[in-house]
Amino acid sequence: MHAQTFFIAFFGLAAVWFGVAVFRTSSMVRSALALLFSQTAIGAMFLAMQTEFLGVLQIMMMATEMSIMAIFMVMYMMDPGGLGAMEMTHQKRFSIAAGAIGGGAALAVAVLTPWGPVVAQAPAAAQQTRALGLELLGRSMLVFETAGVTILTAMIAATAVAVRRREGKAAR
Amino acid sequence: MTAALIAALVTGAALFGVGLYGALSQTNLVMIMMGVELILAGALVNLAAFWRFLHPGAYAGQMFVLIVMTVMALEMAVGFGVATARFRAKGSVEMEEAGELKG
Repeated sequence: MHAQTFFIAFFGLAAVWFGVAVFRTSSMVRSALALLFSQTAIGAMFLAMQTEFLGVLQIMMMATEMSIMAIFMVMYMMDPGGLGAMEMTHQKRFSIAAGAIGGGAALAVAVLTPWGPVVAQAPAAAQQTRALGLELLGRSMLVFETAGVTILTAMIAATAVAVRRREGKAAR
Repeated sequence: MTAALIAALVTGAALFGVGLYGALSQTNLVMIMMGVELILAGALVNLAAFWRFLHPGAYAGQMFVLIVMTVMALEMAVGFGVATARFRAKGSVEMEEAGELKG
């Protein structure tokens, strides 16, 4: 029990630490790597919380997603290496205040709410995966299918937005 | 055990705060997307903790986590599509230079 609390707190701290590091470095590659480590620490938190399937899924998904993000960042940033020490922030005071107020409010809710009895034992990993599969193909099937269709729509929309327009069409 | 739940929720709150700061303070579109990713990551942590410690029998909680992961992937796909279009049109994805997008 104590070990679980320790590992959740440890990986949680790592996730927040790397989350802060994303905005503290000038190098875009370092930012992407910090976000990758932050998301991986969250995956490790899931594993510590005995949600094995979600933990592995999180780590695999985010490793791919952040690698793609790093490529895009290097492509689109004026100074991807951060060697020119460019200023890439604005409205800093307002942002710090908003972040502190938002985070503080969420923290207050987390600490002050009486959450009721906490369940000590999670279902076994195999049972969780089976039950989640049944949930996906049973009660939540419509939600699951909607998510799939939404992904397809987003892929088509993203491609349509990103594709180069032909000169004739652009002129019309 | 409540300590484990609180530790997870505190992590979620901190990630939300850091992400909100990032999304509001950065001038680059890709960095703004990173802030939004952190905000959604905070939501993920909270949802997983609620499922594990409060309702481990209700698998709709895990389903909700999958939906948030889908939203993260969608945000990335559409965001990079917009970034590519913007970069083609203006040669930059700096939001300071996107004043004409104001309504």
